[in-house]
Amino acid sequence: MTPNSSSGNLFITLVGSPNSGKTTLFNYLSGKNYKTVNYPGATVSSALANLQRKFNLKALLMDSPGIISLNPESTDEKIAVNSLFNHPKLGKPDLVIITVDTSQLSRHLYLVKQIVNANFNVIVALTMSDILNQKGLDIDEDKLSKIIHCKAFKVDSRSGKGVEKLLNYVNNIKDKLKDNHLVSPKLSDLNTTEEVLRIYNELELVEEQTIFELNENKNIDLTEANKQLNLITNNTLKSKCNQIDARTTKIDKILLHKTWGLLFFFLIMSFTFTSIFWFAQPIMDFISFIFQVLSTETLILVGNNWFGMFIANGIISGVGSVVVFIPQILILFLILGFLEDSGYLARGAMLIDRPLSKIGLNGKSFVPMLSGFACAIPAMMAARTIPNRRERMLTIFILPMLSCSARLPVYTLLLAFLFPGDKAWIAGLVLASIYLFSTVSSVLIAAIINKLNNKIIKDEDNSSFILELPAYRKPKLKVVTINMLHSGKLYIKKAGPIILVLSIFIWFFTTFPNIDPQVNENNITQEQVDQLKNSERLATSYAADLGKLIQPIMAPLGLDWRVGVSLIAAFAAREVFVSSMVLIFKVTDSHGSLIDSMIGAMRNAKIGNTEQKLFTPSSIIGIIIFFMFALQCLATVAVSRKETGSWRIPILQLLIFSTLAYVLSFITVSGLRFLGMS
Amino acid sequence: MKTAAELKSGEKVIINNVNMQHPSAKRLLEVGFTPGQEIELVNKSVFNDPIAISLRGTVIALRKSDADCIIIS
Repeated sequence: MTPNSSSGNLFITLVGSPNSGKTTLFNYLSGKNYKTVNYPGATVSSALANLQRKFNLKALLMDSPGIISLNPESTDEKIAVNSLFNHPKLGKPDLVIITVDTSQLSRHLYLVKQIVNANFNVIVALTMSDILNQKGLDIDEDKLSKIIHCKAFKVDSRSGKGVEKLLNYVNNIKDKLKDNHLVSPKLSDLNTTEEVLRIYNELELVEEQTIFELNENKNIDLTEANKQLNLITNNTLKSKCNQIDARTTKIDKILLHKTWGLLFFFLIMSFTFTSIFWFAQPIMDFISFIFQVLSTETLILVGNNWFGMFIANGIISGVGSVVVFIPQILILFLILGFLEDSGYLARGAMLIDRPLSKIGLNGKSFVPMLSGFACAIPAMMAARTIPNRRERMLTIFILPMLSCSARLPVYTLLLAFLFPGDKAWIAGLVLASIYLFSTVSSVLIAAIINKLNNKIIKDEDNSSFILELPAYRKPKLKVVTINMLHSGKLYIKKAGPIILVLSIFIWFFTTFPNIDPQVNENNITQEQVDQLKNSERLATSYAADLGKLIQPIMAPLGLDWRVGVSLIAAFAAREVFVSSMVLIFKVTDSHGSLIDSMIGAMRNAKIGNTEQKLFTPSSIIGIIIFFMFALQCLATVAVSRKETGSWRIPILQLLIFSTLAYVLSFITVSGLRFLGMS
Repeated sequence: MKTAAELKSGEKVIINNVNMQHPSAKRLLEVGFTPGQEIELVNKSVFNDPIAISLRGTVIALRKSDADCIIIS
């Protein structure tokens, strides 16, 4: 027994082809009642929401990735088809609402036909009839309902026009829908070529019968004349039906042009990246400031005992390290949302398909790779839209290489050390080159792994690229914002708990066993005493024991156990490196910003009891190289395991990227020192 | 035997057949590339591949290697 069949609530599944306005309708019906959410650019998992209360109908609504038929090709389509036939928790839907773009009726009715044939209760929501009207055509919804044996309603999900009518109808038949549980859906003979052709032949007739020309006064004579030549009427109607948006073709002539197209592509990409860094930075600084204050205040309020430290350093800092990346993720998804809603994202994928196919990737790797610059976790999920399994695995494989936002604070600190004060603009340039370098490296690694044939990625599949290029539209701010907020929420939900738990672990290992160390308290302020205690606590912690154990590994990189501990701590989340460095290098200065006093402390740090400086330009560059390659994020490893279905790929990623990081860092440091750099 | 991969810009033709031996054929058929349909090459990507073909009121981008199974004469 499914949970929904016992309750009075209807369970409605929303299905539709990509770009058929499905998500817009879902957002209109659910308002802010969403429970789980999707990523823009790729609706990759099903979402559930209650119908808004104002509609007076108790129903649970499910949105799923767009599909063009019941024969799924990619993983996201499989998810959609599986959750339609038998949702793991909710079972079979009482009703399926299918969105159909009326301006491409025959293509979209194909799915309707398949779902009706599979014995579902279906209602069709006819969208985008305004585009049909622009062509001088309209659709007869009653006639269509009769021919395809299920009710069809014209809806406009932006204004809500027609939605009420559709829901009223659902309300009237809901008892009948509930009784209809005995018939179970089944996949009919969908796989034969004959069946596909038969359905399309039928649908072309449906299109001819239901779409009619809007009679405008000046056209009356022409229509009359056409009526006498029945054949011609059908042909003009048909060609009018199949007409595409002329403006879109014109824009595409520029955006897909050999030179202009490439230029725009690079401009749009540069804009996207610069916004992620520069717009988000002040907000991120503010958030980390807030959490720092909260943490300090908590310590004062609760007291400098283990409980106070647990709340302040374990919980608050842990939460802070999750929250601090939200601005970047929101900005990335805001831009992605605008690009998708305007229709450009599909063009970007098309433009880059050719170069990516040379290295074993696909144009559809474009969106996941773009998301990878914010966070590898949503990026790996977005890779579900790639139908070819080999290309999907390869995309997932290289995603951790792309410079995610967690590396940004680390680079910021290290670059501030290399280029202090008035040379800060150089730091900006170097940061840009770091991003470029890591992108180029990821592409190279993809090419090498692809060349290794089946040694690393074993799957083989037919490589293809078939993607609809939707007509350009003005992006709707509301839709884009809702999607952005949803992705932020999903990020917190998916990555948040992992980062939080690991932060608490690291807090434990960097705090215990010497929770209250003895320090020399003569001639110093209470604040300095606390700072000394913090440092001493860390220096005698379990993490330090571990750090000393790996000292021999750190030495070739010109580093010591203190950096080693920070590197281990960075496995919770890369940015933890910075806070751990702050703790470990006795940052006692209360004047100026944290970064300044941090850098001062770094400049004075010596290796062991020698006079040799720990942080030199070469060792700093070595750490940067290490961060560029190392897969230091346990959350990413976990998601990689889930998305690839086995431990093989995540373990290989961990081994290959960490070894690369170490070896390249060693070569860089030794090389630079050989060339005379300190 | 001419296929959709050889279409010139702006060329309008009727699909004659789809080569079902091709691994992408099934998908293309379901997308709407059925015999008898009129298609037009509306655009090409920067590297001349993939190509954009208008069909049944929309535009589909596909690689030339995929378009190769759409026989037009």
